[in-house]
Amino acid sequence: MPNLDNIQKVLIIGGGPTEIGHETELDSATVQIITSFKKHGVRTLIIDNNPFSVALEEIQPTNMYVQAVTTANVRHIIEKDRPDAILPTLGGLLGIRIAQELVENGDLANFDVRLLGMPTTTLQQINNPADLNATLKEIHEPVIEAQVVGTLDEARGLVEKIGFPLIVKPVAPRLDTNRTVCDNVDDMFNALTQGFQQSRFDQCTLERSVIGYKEIEMVAVRDVADTEVLIAGLENVDTIGIHSGDSILVTPPQTLNDREYQDLRDATFRIATELGIVGVLHLHFALNPANQHFYVTKIAPYFSRGVALAARTTGYPIALVNGALLLGQKLVDVKLPSQYVKQTAIMEPTIDHVSVRIPIWPFQEVPDADQHLNTVMKAVGSTVGVGRSVEEAMLKAVRSSQFSPRDVLPSVSNLTDGEMIRQLIHPLANRILVLIEALRRGYAPEELSELTKIDNYYFVKLRHLLTIEKEIQDNPLDVAILKRARYYGFGDGMIARIWQTDTATIRHLSAQAKITPTYKMIEPTAGEFPENLSGYYSTFEYENESQPLGDRTALVLGRGGNQLGPNSAAEYFTTEMLKQLKRAGYHTILMNTNPNAVGVAPEFTEKQYVDPIQLGDVLNVIQVEHPDIVIVPGNRHYLTRELGKLPINLHVLPPDQETGEPAPEMATIGVSLFVHKQQKIAVGVMDMIAPGINKSLAQVTAFRMPAELPKAKRVNLVEQAKEAVSERQVTGMIQVLFAPKSDDSQQLVVVGVRPTRLTEMAFLSKVTGVNWVRMLTRQHIGTLDEGELAKISIDLNSTRVALMNAAFPFRQLHVLNRPGTTDQEVGATIAFGSSEALTLTNLSDTSELDQIINRTI
Amino acid sequence: MAKRYLILEDGSAYAGEGFGAGATTSGEVISNLNLLGYQETITDQIYHNQIIIFAQPAIGNVGINHDSYESILPTAKGMVVRDVTNISTNRLSRLSLDEFLQQHNIPGISGIDTRHLIRKLRQEDGPMKGSIVDVADAHAFDQLNATVLTNRQVDQVATPKPYPNPDTGKNVVVIDFGLKHGILRQLSERRCNVTVLPWTASAQDVLNLDPDGVLLSTGPGSPLDLGEGVLDMIREVQAEIPLFAIGLGHELFALANGAELTMLPVEYHGSSHPIRRIITNDIIYATQGQGYAVVAKSIDRDRLITTYVDLINGTVQGLRHRDFPAFSVQFFADGAPGPHESRDLFDEFMEAMTARREG
Repeated sequence: MPNLDNIQKVLIIGGGPTEIGHETELDSATVQIITSFKKHGVRTLIIDNNPFSVALEEIQPTNMYVQAVTTANVRHIIEKDRPDAILPTLGGLLGIRIAQELVENGDLANFDVRLLGMPTTTLQQINNPADLNATLKEIHEPVIEAQVVGTLDEARGLVEKIGFPLIVKPVAPRLDTNRTVCDNVDDMFNALTQGFQQSRFDQCTLERSVIGYKEIEMVAVRDVADTEVLIAGLENVDTIGIHSGDSILVTPPQTLNDREYQDLRDATFRIATELGIVGVLHLHFALNPANQHFYVTKIAPYFSRGVALAARTTGYPIALVNGALLLGQKLVDVKLPSQYVKQTAIMEPTIDHVSVRIPIWPFQEVPDADQHLNTVMKAVGSTVGVGRSVEEAMLKAVRSSQFSPRDVLPSVSNLTDGEMIRQLIHPLANRILVLIEALRRGYAPEELSELTKIDNYYFVKLRHLLTIEKEIQDNPLDVAILKRARYYGFGDGMIARIWQTDTATIRHLSAQAKITPTYKMIEPTAGEFPENLSGYYSTFEYENESQPLGDRTALVLGRGGNQLGPNSAAEYFTTEMLKQLKRAGYHTILMNTNPNAVGVAPEFTEKQYVDPIQLGDVLNVIQVEHPDIVIVPGNRHYLTRELGKLPINLHVLPPDQETGEPAPEMATIGVSLFVHKQQKIAVGVMDMIAPGINKSLAQVTAFRMPAELPKAKRVNLVEQAKEAVSERQVTGMIQVLFAPKSDDSQQLVVVGVRPTRLTEMAFLSKVTGVNWVRMLTRQHIGTLDEGELAKISIDLNSTRVALMNAAFPFRQLHVLNRPGTTDQEVGATIAFGSSEALTLTNLSDTSELDQIINRTI
Repeated sequence: MAKRYLILEDGSAYAGEGFGAGATTSGEVISNLNLLGYQETITDQIYHNQIIIFAQPAIGNVGINHDSYESILPTAKGMVVRDVTNISTNRLSRLSLDEFLQQHNIPGISGIDTRHLIRKLRQEDGPMKGSIVDVADAHAFDQLNATVLTNRQVDQVATPKPYPNPDTGKNVVVIDFGLKHGILRQLSERRCNVTVLPWTASAQDVLNLDPDGVLLSTGPGSPLDLGEGVLDMIREVQAEIPLFAIGLGHELFALANGAELTMLPVEYHGSSHPIRRIITNDIIYATQGQGYAVVAKSIDRDRLITTYVDLINGTVQGLRHRDFPAFSVQFFADGAPGPHESRDLFDEFMEAMTARREG
C-alpha cells in the first residue's frame, strides 16, 4: 500500500531513557508506528540509546542508531542516510525541541527532509508560549495571559496586573521542568532566579494561577483533510495545582455535564485545525466549575501518557491509525487489522466502562525527596483500574497501586486529626488513602470537597465504598454481601482480611454462590458493533464475553505500574518473553495494569486482562483461560508461593533476583554465563562500576564490556566462574561476581553468584547480539536446543566497547544529585564505540561517569 | 432500594435495584450510546413511550440542571443503567436524578448488565418491548405481551396550543412535533422571535404569522402515522418561506417531497458515526436518534438533493430542495447532548431567511 506523500524513509527520534514524565508508553507507540509504516512500505530509521527499548528490537540493525538523542546526532543521520521525513512526536518534549533546532538551523530545508505530525510553524509555537498564546487568541481560545519577563524588575511591574497566586515558568527550559506557584513577591523572586537559569533564553513567564480549577485533558486525532475525532476526555480528580501526572485520572470524565464536555471538544478541534496537526493532539484545560469558563493550559501534539491511556481505555488503536495519518492517509481510508470492525478509525469512540489511573511515586526508594504533590511531577509510573462503576474502577486502581502482596490496603489510621487535615490541604503521595481516612472519620463529602477542591462526587463514591466495607464487617461470611463487595471492586484479599479468613475461603464461598466474574471487552463502540478486540477487564455481571483461547496457552503476569529499580528492563524482558512464547506456538495472555506497558500491544499478546495482579484476580483469569503455563515475575513472592500450592504449571520469569545466597558487599567484575544442563556459555566479562565513593554492590549502576583486563585474565575469570557455577545447582543466566582479594588487590576472587540482573541481561543482549531473554524463555518452556546453544560464539575480547549507565530521577525530584543505587534507577542509556572516548560521548549524562572512570582506571 | 426487574418480550428478565419512581411501565426498549448527557436524553420527547438503556455506565453524576432540559415534562418510560448516583450539583443543591424521576413518575433500574442488553438488542435480537416491574412473574409477561404501544406519540407530547418565545430578530415559526429545547436555544442565540405552533397547524396558520422562516422540529414515533395534512402544509409552506427541518421534521419533509421511508432494523441513538457533508466533502459528528431513514433510491432527484450521509450505515442524513430554500437533516443539529459542529446549520437557516428578505 503506497502512501500518499511518497515517503519511503522516516527517521524516528526516540524517547531516550525512561524518566519522570515519560516511561515505556513512547516505546509502545513507536513499535506500533513502525508496524504501520512497514505496512505502507516505509523504511524506518530510529535513533535512541535506551537499552530497554523494544522498538530497537523490531527493526534491522542497519536502520538503528544507538546514539544519544541529540540535535547533532540526528543531523548526522540525516546527512548520512537522507530520510524523506523525520518524526519527532515519539520522542516526547525532547523530540520536539530537537526538531525545532533542525528547523531553525535550516537542516530540514537543506536536506529536503519533511517534518511529520505538524507544520514547522506549529513546532516553533509549541516551543514558544508567547507565540502560541497569540495564535490561540486569534482563534478566540481562552488562554491564561502569560507575560514574558527577563528581569526581576520587569516581573515586579507586572505583579499588580496579574495578582497572586501566580505561576512562574521558564521559557524553553533545558529540562522538562516545573511551574512554580508563588503566593508572594519573595516566592516569585526565588522562582524567577531559578527559572532564568533553566531557560534557554534566560526568560520566564508569569501567569495567573488557576489553582483549584478542574483539569480536563482531551486526546484527539486529525488527518490532512481536517477530519477530527475525539478519542477520549480525561478528568483529573485533583484540581489544577497538582501536576496531572501526579493526579488520579478518570475517563470518561464523570463530573462534567455534556455542554462543558462538548465545549472542550470544540476547542480541541479548533486548536488542532489552527495548528495543522496531523496525527495525535493532547490538550489540557483548566475549567472553572463555578461558571464553566475554561482556559487552554497545555498543548502537546505528541505521544504522551495521556495518549497511551486514551488508547488503552477506549481500545481505539491511536498509534496504528496515527502511522497511516502521518503518511498522508485520511481517517476514512485507514484500514485496520481484521479484529476491528471496518471504519473503527473514523468512529468517535464511546465507551461503557470507567477507567481510573493512579500514579506511583518513588518515595520509598528516594525517601529524602519532598513528598508533597504540586505542580512538579514526581510519579514514575501509574496503574489503571477498569470497571463498570466508578467505585469498581477506583478500587481496582487503588489495589494495584499499593503493591500489597496480599491485596490489602495500607491503613493511615494512625494520623492525628491535625496531620490529616494538613495532608488534605497539602497532599502527599498517599493522597487517596488520606481522603478515604477522612471520610472514615466522619467528614462529610461537601466539607472535604471544600477543603480539597476535589469534586464532591468522588467523595460520595468513596463514601459508598466505605458503606460497603462496613456491611462486609458487619456480616461475616454473608454471600449476599460478598457478591456486593466483589461487584464494587473489593479484592478477595481485602474481604478475607476483614473477615479474618483466607482467600481460599472467599473463593470457596463465591464458587458455591456462583459469584463468578464476567469479562467485558474494552472496545470503542460501547456494544454497537461486534468488535473482536483483545483487551478485557472483569466485573460481576450477567454476560461473560471472554472465551478461552484454547490449547497451548501461556498466561503471563506483568509487573503492574512502573516503579524505580529494574522496571523498564523488566518491561523489555516481559515483551521479549511474550514474543518467544508466541514463536513457540503458545497463545499468549498478559495480565497487566500498567497503561504504558509495551507488552499489552496486540502485536505481542493475543489477549490482555486489565485487572489487579492479585491472587484472587489471577485465579479468576486462570479459571476462564485454563492456561498450560503461568508465568509470574520474580518479585511476587507471595503470589508465587500461593499459586505454587495449586496444580498449576508455574514458572518464575523474569527470574527472582533474591536467591537466598547473600550478596557480596562489593564486586568489580561480573562474568555472565548462560547455564543449561551441562552447558555453560560465557556471555560476557564486564566491569561493574560504582560511580560514587561508596563501592558497594548496590551502587554498581554502570557497566562496561569487555572489562578492562588483559585477555588472559578474562579467560581465567571465565574458567573460575564456570567452576563457581558448577558448585551450585543453578541454571539460566547467571552472573559470577569478582572482587579484589582484601590482601592482594591484583588478585580477583569469586565473591558471589546471582541471577544476572534484568538491566544487565538487556545490556548483554544488546552487546552480544544474542537475545538472552529468548534463550531463558525457551529454557523454561523446554524448547531450548542444546546444539543451537553450543553454536553461539561470543567474542569476549571484542575491541568494540559498550557502556551502559543508569539514569536516576534525582534532578526531577529536586534532591541532591548523587550516585544512585540500583533500587533508584529509573532507566538507562547505552553506547557503543571503538574507543572509550567515542563511547562516552554517546551516553546521555556522562559527566559523572566520565570522572569516575578517569579516576579509577 | 427495592429489587425490581426489567423484563423483555422475549421472556428474559433482569434483576436490578429500582430508583426514581416505583411505577410499573412498559415501552419500547432502545439503547442510547452517548458518552454523556443523560438529562438531555431523558427529557427529549423523542423517547416518549420508550425505555432507555444507557451505555454510559455511571448515571446521575451531575444531578439535574436548569440548562440541560430538552423538555420540561419528560415522557420516557424508564431508565436502565448500570450505576446511579443520587447527587445534586445545581446552585440550590436540589434535585437529583432520583428525585426528578420520582416527580415525573418515571422508573429507573440500576445494577443491570447494560452492555449485555445493548449487544443483545443491537447485534442480535433487534428491538423489543419491555417493562420495569416489581415481580417478574407470568402475569407481568402477560401484561407486557398484551401491551399495545400507541402510535399517537406526537399528539401526546407536542404542544396543543401556540406559544411565543419573543426576541427582536427574525420571525420564525416552529412546528412542534415533540420539540427539543436545544432548537429553541439555538434560535434564541440568533435572536429569533419564535412562535411555536401545534403540529396540526395548517399552511394558512403558518403564513398568517408572516414568518421569515419555518422550522419543523424533532419528535417521537413514526412520521407515517401523522397523515397527509401535515405533508400538505409542508408542501405549501416550503414554496413560500425558507424551511429547516430536523429529525422527525426531516422525515416529513422527505415524505412531502416524494421520498419514501424505511424502518431501521434497530433504532440508532448515539453520536459516534461519521457523517459526510457532501458539498464540502468533510466529516462531522452529531447526535443521531432515529428509527426511520429516508430510502436513498426513492429520492426524486429533480426535487431533492442529498446533502449529508452517514458513513457507517449509509443512511441519508440531509436533504435540500432544488427549487426552494428548504433543507433538512436527520441528526440533531442543536447538539444537546452531543457534538456541536452541525450547529452552523442554524446559521445557514438564518442566511436563507436573510436572502429571502433581500431577494
